[in-house]
Amino acid sequence: MPHSKSLLRSGALAALFCLPVFSAQAQETFVVSNWGYSNDFYEPFIFEPFEKEHNVRIVTETGGAPERLNKARIRGGVDVILLTDKFSQIGINQGAFETIDSSKLSNFDELYDAAKNPQGDYGPAYTFGRYGIVYDKTRTDTPITSWCDLWRDDFAGAIAMPAFNTTGGPLTVMMAGKCAGSDAFEDPDTAFAKMAELKPNIVKTFSSGSELTNLLSTGEAFIGLAQDYAFPAIQAANPNIGWAELSEGDFRMMNTYNIPKNAKHKELALAFIDFSISMQAQKDAAIELVSGSGPVNKTVELTPEQASQLVYGEKAVLSMQPTPYDKLLEVNDDWERRWNDVFGR
Amino acid sequence: MTSRVSLVQRLSALGPWLLVLPATAVLLFILIIPVAGTLAESFSNPAGLFANYRDFFADSYNRTVMIRSFRIAFLSTLTALILGFGGAYMIANSSQGLKRVLLILSVFPLLTSVVVRSFSFMAILGRNGVVNTALMKLGLISEPMEMLFTQGAVIAGLAYLFTPLMILSLVGVLENIEDDLYLAAGSLGAAPVAVFFQVTLPLAVPGMIVGSVLVFTGSLATFVTPTLLGGEPQMTLATLLYQKAMISFDWGVANTIAAIMMGTAIFCVVVLGTIAGRISARRAVH
Repeated sequence: MPHSKSLLRSGALAALFCLPVFSAQAQETFVVSNWGYSNDFYEPFIFEPFEKEHNVRIVTETGGAPERLNKARIRGGVDVILLTDKFSQIGINQGAFETIDSSKLSNFDELYDAAKNPQGDYGPAYTFGRYGIVYDKTRTDTPITSWCDLWRDDFAGAIAMPAFNTTGGPLTVMMAGKCAGSDAFEDPDTAFAKMAELKPNIVKTFSSGSELTNLLSTGEAFIGLAQDYAFPAIQAANPNIGWAELSEGDFRMMNTYNIPKNAKHKELALAFIDFSISMQAQKDAAIELVSGSGPVNKTVELTPEQASQLVYGEKAVLSMQPTPYDKLLEVNDDWERRWNDVFGR
Repeated sequence: MTSRVSLVQRLSALGPWLLVLPATAVLLFILIIPVAGTLAESFSNPAGLFANYRDFFADSYNRTVMIRSFRIAFLSTLTALILGFGGAYMIANSSQGLKRVLLILSVFPLLTSVVVRSFSFMAILGRNGVVNTALMKLGLISEPMEMLFTQGAVIAGLAYLFTPLMILSLVGVLENIEDDLYLAAGSLGAAPVAVFFQVTLPLAVPGMIVGSVLVFTGSLATFVTPTLLGGEPQMTLATLLYQKAMISFDWGVANTIAAIMMGTAIFCVVVLGTIAGRISARRAVH
């Protein structure tokens, strides 16, 4: 009898301890694949409210865009993935993403037209951004006013440039073609000959925004070809760094949400996207992330000061140079070989 | 009774095998099967059994990267050998207490992350780094030297990374050289330099080979240091493998590079291991 009593007691205790485990297991896990650069913002402003509303636990998978896309496509386990439009286009071409029924997004009609379906029915853009030139304005007497200034003799060993397999890498080749008076798609020989002339000015090609920040903050480089998401960290490290006003304009960037075909929680992913493009979430992102998060929701109203470092409004977006990803992906292998011949030897 | 004894004996005989079974199973699933899969994939091109290898070697850029990788690995090994031998010689000839302290100090870098170690090299070799600042303050140079993002920076980083392994491989060998040999060489009129080259160095060869294998294969496979200290112009097989697998999604080439790197590592271990074995055997005979 005492044995049975103690057995009962142990059983009750075990059940008590197991209860939280079972209830935790009952909560679904929702996996968001993100860069990790801005998770300090996502945690309180996006993840926590979404977790409360939908009784889920959000787990993030962080890393560079190409690795995350590769993992999501091959290994799976990702419910929603945040990518630049270059890599979402690669995923679309590989058949990695679900099409999205925009009628299920309650906030879809509030988006600027340019953000609605930038790559077909695969998901809206969630931020507008840009790719341009940042530089330490105290290190040169003659300001940078054109992409062609990168070839100036006084910039020897001064430039940090994105590697080829990044969002911005091939765009530099396009500009090299333009500066040589030709079209890089029509005449890659001339464009890459011009890129070879740029080599003495390149201190390093980088693969991530944090690497660029490091190069600029340590003074290894004082000119960087950058996307705006990295700019707050760059400027925090060196306040003398600012954007160059380029006569040809910056390149237009969009970051997109996509739902992998092998995602477990597709309905929840739709709800997550809907929440992230809502007016409040977009406004929070624009204010808290400072730059790199130009709102795509046209009902977001910002003060001139809040908007000063952002690509704010459709007019600002459409005035920039478009990025022809379809064409770039077609020539990718040829350009990569040519790039390696110039910078890899 | 007899049958029970024989059963117990049989189970006892199986004991060692049962003990190694869990580790063998783990190795099988996390090492042997994936490695075999990678090798098999590198031969699975529909264009032919060796098509992936033919394509890889046909590209002059790949050949450049491969030659560069071997050159960097070789020079890093040589640097680590020179630095490591000096360190190991000093440790082996120290008193017991000091020896322990020096050994801990020499392996201390292994306790920090390879990323941190590579970043510290950026702080040392950078334009505003320790070396350039010191040289400029001494008036030896007027402008910072370009040391970072060069092959020299990669070799320095790898040598720093792997010298502790070389020291550990050499200390034991140098400690085991009997003092009588030094005394005999000295009594026969050999100068200290001659003793070093004719006694110490030949007897340390097995340790030098083991250390060199570790450093060479490690340098060939290291990814972080060439990426951070070299960049694109110093692309090695390891960084090219990463690029092909994770960025270009070209798994055919990635598997081929992985197979080449594995083949090289196995070749080094087998050939140099055989040489070390023969030297040890010859020494035992003498």
